[in-house]
Amino acid sequence: MMCRTGQQQEPHEADEAESSRGAFAALLEDSAEELYENAPCGYLSTLMDGTIAKINATLLGWLGLDREAVVGRMRFTDLLTVGGRLYHETHFAPMLQMQGEISGIALEIKQSGGGRIPVLVSSSVKHGSTGEPLLIRTTVFDARQRRAYEEELLRGRKAAEEARRQSEADRARLQDALAVLQQSLLPDILPVLPGVETAASYHTASPDRLGGDFYDVFPLDGKRFGFFLGDVCGKGPQAAAVTSLTRYTLRTAALHDPDPVTALTTLNKVLHERYAAGSGDPRYCTVVFGTLEPDPDTGQVAVRIASGGHPPAIVTRADGTADFLPTPGGLLVGVLPSAQFTAATTTLAPGDTLLLYTDGITEARTGPDRTSLYGDQALLSFASDHAGKPASALIEALTALLQRFGDGLDDDTALLALGAPTAGHRTRSSR
Amino acid sequence: MSPLKITTGYAATGPVLKVLGELDYDNAPELSELVPTIPLRPGQCLVLDLGGMVFCDSSGLSALIAAHRHTQAARADIALAAVPAHTLRILRIVGLDQIFPIHPDTASATAP
Repeated sequence: MMCRTGQQQEPHEADEAESSRGAFAALLEDSAEELYENAPCGYLSTLMDGTIAKINATLLGWLGLDREAVVGRMRFTDLLTVGGRLYHETHFAPMLQMQGEISGIALEIKQSGGGRIPVLVSSSVKHGSTGEPLLIRTTVFDARQRRAYEEELLRGRKAAEEARRQSEADRARLQDALAVLQQSLLPDILPVLPGVETAASYHTASPDRLGGDFYDVFPLDGKRFGFFLGDVCGKGPQAAAVTSLTRYTLRTAALHDPDPVTALTTLNKVLHERYAAGSGDPRYCTVVFGTLEPDPDTGQVAVRIASGGHPPAIVTRADGTADFLPTPGGLLVGVLPSAQFTAATTTLAPGDTLLLYTDGITEARTGPDRTSLYGDQALLSFASDHAGKPASALIEALTALLQRFGDGLDDDTALLALGAPTAGHRTRSSR
Repeated sequence: MSPLKITTGYAATGPVLKVLGELDYDNAPELSELVPTIPLRPGQCLVLDLGGMVFCDSSGLSALIAAHRHTQAARADIALAAVPAHTLRILRIVGLDQIFPIHPDTASATAP
């Protein structure tokens, strides 16, 4: 019968169960004192003044002390390190007095051999029947493993912080290097030219990318000055390398022969030879190059320019008008082994200003789609509104205009204004 | 944003690529990479029909110049057809109208 065993136990089976229950109970009864003495944590009881009244073998073992040396002779604080004692007096004891219990406090106990063990301490006050405090019961947990783990965490955090500091330092160094390189692409300040007022501005569409626009103003000989402004195709380090090559080629070429068409022809040869011939990475730029020759007697400035694929310069006149200075037919520089460049000349009378710009401003989006652009006619009309003002005032007005474009400005914009000052204005430069 | 789409056809004069959409920084390399794969015999003319091109920036111009360079190396010709007004204006500013024959449409560009 399958169910019989479950309904009624056989006599010998009942005996076995009985004896096993007895053994279990005996084990439990036996362990009350045994558990106190050899529990995996330390126990101690102290009088209200801290005198140790009772302490278990586990804790004595950790301390390396004999029971006789401790009970009735030492206080709980005698077991602690100096720091632990201080903390006990200032925090532990007052909290315990106020709340009647305190738990999980990290302290350190001294070993007789001179070592110290990090522990977690919990205490509670035992009260008598009338509520008066009788004694303090304390448990002490060995926190060595836990402390080691915490130190490991701390070490890990320190390593992570160190790595972060290092990467921030690297980043700062890289930004410094970029800033130095960027400065080598543009003049730090424009030189002061006798008889010419100069002003420039560079507006980056994305601050962390090296731009592809450039300009420069520099002396050629005793009486003439060279200037240029342009735009290299592309952005980033590759474009910056082209910009650098372009800037120093133009400066050097102009020292040999300041004729604008000759300077651009030299630049075209250099760029084409470097980037186009056989290279899979053709690079080119648009640029206006020119010379200024101020006449100290009349206050007029003679201007000769040539353009390679660059939008036409604008001349604002003292009488409040503005016009393009057309240079049609000039080709992008660096595209063909030999290219045609178009020259133009004008004379700036006092109060007139020559404005050079890159297409970042004329191609700025003024509408929701990519075809509503600011345009060259709008720029011309804006310039004529500011005609007759000094070069610096024109650049300031254009800079404010660029800021109004906001997100509509997709590309970097460089602006350079060169003016013949009116008699009232002394020669000055600003950027 | 309309992405770039390029279709390839052939006329008696040579291959005809129709460029549709935006030829910008993101898309222009597509054209630069496609052109060298188009079979082109010496003396033929590669026609780029830009009638469906809605946008072209300096990266687009770079792709056109790269195509010009490729056809030159292949001893072939290149021509642009149906260039949108805005792009035509830019081509004139940068002087590229001097190195690209520009036709009103593909029919005239491929006329024998």
